[in-house]
Amino acid sequence: MMDRYTKLQMVGIYAAVIVFLIFILLPFFEMFMASLRPLEHLFRSPYQFWSDDFSFQAYSDMWETVPLLGRYIFNSVFIASAVTVLTMIFVVPAAYAYARLEFPFKNGSLAIFLGVNMFTGAVLLIPLYRVLRSMGLLNTYWAMIVPGVAFLIPTGIWLLRSYLEKIPRELEEAAFVDGASRMYTLRRVVLPLATPGLIVVGTAVFIGAYAQQFLFAITFNQQRELQPLPAGLFEFIGYQDVTWNQMMAAALTGILPVMVIFLFLQKYLVAGLTAGAVKE
Amino acid sequence: MATLSLNAITKSFGAAKVLHDISLAIKDKEFVVFVGPSGCGKSTLLRIIAGLEEATSGSVVIGGEDVSAAPPVERGISMVFQSYALYPHLSVYENIAFPLRVQKMGKAEMDARIQRAADILQLKDKLQLKPGQLSGGQRQRVAIGRSIVRNPKVFLFDEPLSNLDAALRGDMRVELSQLHRNLDATMVYVTHDQIEAMTMADRIVVLNGGRVEQFGTPMELYHHPKTKFVASFIGQPNMNLIPGTVLGVDPTGVKISMNGGHEMVLPVDSSTVSAGDKVEVGIRPEHVDIGTEGLEISVNVLERLGGVSITYGTIGDGTRFCASLPGDAAVKEGEPLTLSVAPEACHVFDGSGDVLRRNSAPEIID
Ligand SMILES: Nc1ncnc2c1ncn2[C@@H]1O[C@H](COP(=O)(O)OP(=O)(O)OP(=O)(O)O)[C@@H](O)[C@H]1O
Ligand SMILES: [Mg+2]
Repeated sequence: MMDRYTKLQMVGIYAAVIVFLIFILLPFFEMFMASLRPLEHLFRSPYQFWSDDFSFQAYSDMWETVPLLGRYIFNSVFIASAVTVLTMIFVVPAAYAYARLEFPFKNGSLAIFLGVNMFTGAVLLIPLYRVLRSMGLLNTYWAMIVPGVAFLIPTGIWLLRSYLEKIPRELEEAAFVDGASRMYTLRRVVLPLATPGLIVVGTAVFIGAYAQQFLFAITFNQQRELQPLPAGLFEFIGYQDVTWNQMMAAALTGILPVMVIFLFLQKYLVAGLTAGAVKE
Repeated sequence: MATLSLNAITKSFGAAKVLHDISLAIKDKEFVVFVGPSGCGKSTLLRIIAGLEEATSGSVVIGGEDVSAAPPVERGISMVFQSYALYPHLSVYENIAFPLRVQKMGKAEMDARIQRAADILQLKDKLQLKPGQLSGGQRQRVAIGRSIVRNPKVFLFDEPLSNLDAALRGDMRVELSQLHRNLDATMVYVTHDQIEAMTMADRIVVLNGGRVEQFGTPMELYHHPKTKFVASFIGQPNMNLIPGTVLGVDPTGVKISMNGGHEMVLPVDSSTVSAGDKVEVGIRPEHVDIGTEGLEISVNVLERLGGVSITYGTIGDGTRFCASLPGDAAVKEGEPLTLSVAPEACHVFDGSGDVLRRNSAPEIID
């Protein structure tokens, strides 16, 4: 690395990063603190940062308060994974076509994809409901997977297309001259080179799928056993009281599998996001 | 191995016409170089031969067969790209194996071909490395290896050496010429470097603005350039061009008054010019000698290269003139110099840049 910043600038940069991180991470920290407190503490005034009766009790109690909690966490990961796999199956050939082929309405259709992205799922809930009902998909996993895939394909195409465009065209021409078909070239040349890009896009899709499932779950699904975690968390809201500490514990536990995956993929993510920035 | 002919090829990208009516007949086992300035359409022409680009009109015939509509792999060609186009995630072995794997060739035969290519290109101990671990010259060899294993009828090269440094480029030039001899293949080679063209080619195609200016052996182009463009493109340092006026013509030659005042009778075909026409006289820097009578130039810059001394100067009216003199020539910067020129060594170009054929010129040796 080049030493391009003065000491003072570095201090400034780090200060900015710290402020930003605090802003992002503070809610998680507070979630964690809340999950440790006994319930009575939560409403105590004045606010007490630390007390001796903090414990991990909520982390074991939550499984009893909401017996299906494990199932909900599984559902969340399952739905998000299924959405990711299906989305990628559609996105890879589509993004390749947008990156390399010429066809009518290419730019127009790309713009429409971007336009679709601007609608949140919420605007389309009622039409979607009717579509899913007439297809008989309500109250199944598909009710949460199909709309998820539909809303994530455009983002996926946009992200992956720009990545594929950076792969030198001459590599594909060389393969073509040697007699390789498009599909063979895609499989043996393009996709291996695009692996970091695929991971970046896959991760972005997974996060998107994880975040959007709540809306689809509460509208299109009544089956308790199929609910993902965000919807399942509602069960911590009882008739009498809300077990906030357990809810926070459950929410944090639910994020855990995703966090673990991220830690593993982190080096690809960083490589993927900067790939092509430097001429090699 | 095969002949290659291009018949009336034209190519337009939208409204831009890039190639104009190009017809060439390349012989079996010939090493032909396409040379010309940047943007003249060399790569486009090569890509049309390869089948990567479709000609707007005209046909490509390889080995007597019209392949204009065939995909590259059915044309019996292989191509080496300027950027090498190696697959960075595959080993050298797999890179060379790629075209054979596409063909689903049997393992034993494939291995034999790769080993042979590695032998020819001295890559035996590099087969397990990735392209990223190789030097530029080695990468170039891998790219060539990949094109050899398919036993193509015609090899196509698009500026394969332009990413290499000067010394390596010299070595690779020799290696490529040797390869051509070993493989006994027809090769078409694109470059914008006239030295590569002169040293490697059996015949050179000079392209300019999408047209063939001339197609001939290096010595033909040197001694009998058909146009001013070819004359100034071939030869290093470039040919000097001095504007002049025709004073009179007779069957043996043309009398010309050159800018700067010098007058000469040049033995060239005089049938197409008459007195008063504007012409240009082309004199190669290596065809002048220090003398007592002739062109008066003042030397601005002197480069002593050891074997030769190159002087850059001007003649009377400011036209630039470069001369290549013996290494020990008694010349000084800032001093006037008289150069004698043999009339037989001069070229004359008419107003449109076409040459007036020289009556006597050196025998062309191949
Ligand atoms: N795909 C394309 N679309 C439009 N114009 C093109 C295309 N490819 C080439 N051209 C144009 O055709 C002309 C010839 O290009 P070409 O690449 O054949 O030149 P070149 O002789 O190989 O030059 P260089 O020595 O710089 O490689 C150029 O003016 C270029 O702008
Ligand atoms: Mg080119």
